[in-house]
Amino acid sequence: MTEEIQEPVIPGNYSARKQTRWEKLDTVKGKKAVHLDGIHDSVDSTYISPGQLYSTESGRMFHAGQVCVCICGQPARGKTNLSISLCRYLRWLGLKSNLFHMGNYRRAKTGTITDDFFKPVPDTEEAFKMRKELTESCVQDMKAFFQGDHGQVAIYDAVNAISKERVELVERMKLYGIRVLFIESLVTDDNLLRANIQDASKSPDYQNWDSKQAVEDYKKRVEMVAPHYQEMNEPSLSYVKFINFGERLIVKNSNHDFLTSKIVFFLMNSKIKRGSVYMARCSNNKLSFKSDPPLTEAGREYSQKVMKTVLGHISKFKGENFYHNVQRPKIEATKRQPAYGVDGQHENSLVVWTSVRRRTVEAAQMFKDLGITTRHRQQLTQLNPGDAEGLTLEELKEKFPHDYEEHLADPYHHRYPRAESYHDLAVKVEPLLFEMERMRGDVLIIADETVLRVLYGYLMACHSYDIPTLKFPENEVIQITYNAYTNTATRIPVEGLEQTED
Amino acid sequence: MAVYSVVDNLRVCVVMVGLPARGKSLIAQKLVRYLSWLSINTKCFSVGNYRRKESVHPSADFFDPENEMGFLIRRQATDLAIKDMLEWFDNGDGVVGILDASNITNERRRQVLQIMRENQIEPIFLESYCDDQELIRKNVKDIQETSPDYKSIQEDYAIKDVLERISIYEKSYESIDVERDSDLTFVKLINVNTEIIINKIESYLESRIAFFVMNLHIKPRYIWLSRHGESQYNLEGKIGGDADLSERGWKYAKKLPSLVEKYIPNHEKLTVWTSTLKRTQQTGSYLPYPKKTWKALDELDAGVCDGMTYEEIAEKYPDDFKARDEDKFEYRYRGGESYRDVILRLEPIIMEMENLENVLIITHQAVLRCIYAYFMNVPQQQSPWMSIPLHTLIRLEPRAYETLVTRIKADIPAVSTYKEKGTSKLGESTKNDHSMAGALISSSSSKDV
Repeated sequence: MTEEIQEPVIPGNYSARKQTRWEKLDTVKGKKAVHLDGIHDSVDSTYISPGQLYSTESGRMFHAGQVCVCICGQPARGKTNLSISLCRYLRWLGLKSNLFHMGNYRRAKTGTITDDFFKPVPDTEEAFKMRKELTESCVQDMKAFFQGDHGQVAIYDAVNAISKERVELVERMKLYGIRVLFIESLVTDDNLLRANIQDASKSPDYQNWDSKQAVEDYKKRVEMVAPHYQEMNEPSLSYVKFINFGERLIVKNSNHDFLTSKIVFFLMNSKIKRGSVYMARCSNNKLSFKSDPPLTEAGREYSQKVMKTVLGHISKFKGENFYHNVQRPKIEATKRQPAYGVDGQHENSLVVWTSVRRRTVEAAQMFKDLGITTRHRQQLTQLNPGDAEGLTLEELKEKFPHDYEEHLADPYHHRYPRAESYHDLAVKVEPLLFEMERMRGDVLIIADETVLRVLYGYLMACHSYDIPTLKFPENEVIQITYNAYTNTATRIPVEGLEQTED
Repeated sequence: MAVYSVVDNLRVCVVMVGLPARGKSLIAQKLVRYLSWLSINTKCFSVGNYRRKESVHPSADFFDPENEMGFLIRRQATDLAIKDMLEWFDNGDGVVGILDASNITNERRRQVLQIMRENQIEPIFLESYCDDQELIRKNVKDIQETSPDYKSIQEDYAIKDVLERISIYEKSYESIDVERDSDLTFVKLINVNTEIIINKIESYLESRIAFFVMNLHIKPRYIWLSRHGESQYNLEGKIGGDADLSERGWKYAKKLPSLVEKYIPNHEKLTVWTSTLKRTQQTGSYLPYPKKTWKALDELDAGVCDGMTYEEIAEKYPDDFKARDEDKFEYRYRGGESYRDVILRLEPIIMEMENLENVLIITHQAVLRCIYAYFMNVPQQQSPWMSIPLHTLIRLEPRAYETLVTRIKADIPAVSTYKEKGTSKLGESTKNDHSMAGALISSSSSKDV
């Protein structure tokens, strides 16, 4: 087909799709060894998220109205971690969401903060007043976000220990026409709690502290709140109890609300992620989309280098041959069976994901030979370039002048004839994102650059305009580590390959 | 795109739990429909069907635990169902198997658990717990009307029998207990979804099932579907675009309120959904109900062919025209969408639709085909060829064993927008499997539905 693409005579869906959906960002991120993710940047009014399926006139999704998600729970229950990962997911879904951490308001407050302040019911008038003040300024900011910035979800991260105060928040928000959904994080497992206290003692509150002292101080804070904390049981409120980080969820009065069930869906899959996600390019990316040749000798050498780099890197933390510890023994029939076909449950596990293409399957065989689980996912197949395949920018401009313009304006959503867009790819990989969230061990994804861009975009909360131009050179492996506060991406040079200059 | 490919060898076994008339079969059937619609290989193994082979119309005392014969037959039926499921996992690339039985005692559940664990499968128990009498009463009636157990049996007797069956079961009923069963994977729905307990979900697919189930309600309701009224583009035989209604289209819009009014029982609450395109909004403009506009309900995007007639497409893009006829489900218009793309973007709509009570959806031909296929379990290869005429209101009534369809003709003439395979001419299908199920009634007739 050499037919020229013509614009329809009467504007319809086609024209609607053509409209520029956001302004071009002129910031170009420099190449640094370590990147922090964008989850703490506020979203601007032109924000379109990577995974958004559709938009409504108001710019809000699901006609769900505006929702304040109020996170409750005693200290060391992973509230901040929970609110950040929830925000990451909701934004990716297309809901304009922002985080409101009480801790940040407190830290921004000058002057000393006494221990008394951390008690849900402080003893001194002064601490009491300060609590009120901080809460008020947080509520005011949320109100401004809803009313001025077209926000849809405000995630309010605070202890919220007192039942009466929770009911008051609901009434207050009701005045602004905003629903409140509570998520209470409860931990009944002492081991989990201990591990979490260790984690929390590394928060910004304890910068430059001796680690032992930090743990002691944090424990004190935990103990101070405990006797005052009132577990959620309010019959009139909508809430989700999130027990032992997702082992059990109890959903009360969800009233068939779509957003609530979507959040519960996310919570079911949200584990406290300990492992890292590694991303590496597959070899030979210049191939035509439809061809599926076996791995070449050069590709084999390259894949071996990638393997050596990744295994060497993980061994530094987990010891040589760490993957030997994860072979799944056959469990007796009297015991709980590990979910059939589900990987990454062991903290020491490494799972390798590739596409179903021959060369990537063969590259993964090296890992398989070592006893490492490898999975081949259809969703990890590179973006289908359609009729644009193999064409240079000049040729594209000549052959599809109209599409070329469109692509420049919206490289994320635009698809050339017969092609897939990055957005199509993002929607396709959503199940993989959840599986990634569930894994307790490491995962190595060997895929085409187009796929890596989309996955990186989710993990690092990238603006969709930036995703199509993210760079993943073959001589680097990207490691993304999950942290309570922010995900971090590190570039690891592949051993034995020439490194390019910055 | 299959959400799960067989490469992963993933297996999920869902074990239903609950007294009769708690909507178990409805939930099981909906799960099959939803997962199949998403290309996940799913099958329901209904113990009732295995049991019916032995005893066609059993009376309530058959279900009495004291009745040894009945107990044995039911036990065998369950074993057979499980055996078939395991075989299906091994030989049929099965991914999600659903065991539809009451499984009301702890002992029974432990037996099922043991068999499953011996086969290295950790089942997920799905309990529907309900003590809302009004809801139970409605479910009982539903069972009496649609269950194969009560085919050609008198109504009074049947209802009495169901109630008796329930009271026999109630004696030995042990609900899933958060303490005792804390090591099991389960989802417990209490009074539909006033409270939902989700325990030890271990895989993404299980979470997806739980997500779907928590969006369901088993309250009886209607789903109304309609295409927009005839548009200017329809008159010209063009596809896509954002045209206004034709004169006859406006007539349909004006008649719609009285049609809905006539067939909606007791003036229940109704919500109207339209797409963002003018023709659906105009069609809904006389309806006195709350309205929502969804981008996701917009017509399949025909890309470069938007605004053309099929004849023009056949002439201008002959290869594409042929390719589309060959695989209409997968074919994606240049710069546009395929039916599969539409299903993906409709998923949130389906989820919210399961959530709502009465809803009237005014949308477009391709989108309606996808929604209809979901509710009626129409296979992927067939659904893009369904004939859904203009100026016809469709009423779906999801029931425990099937979805009932009623089509109400507005008796306002309109052009046909149906295109048979292999031609570029428009005209209604002559093939039976392309027409919708259910009764067709004319709005001028006085027949009550």
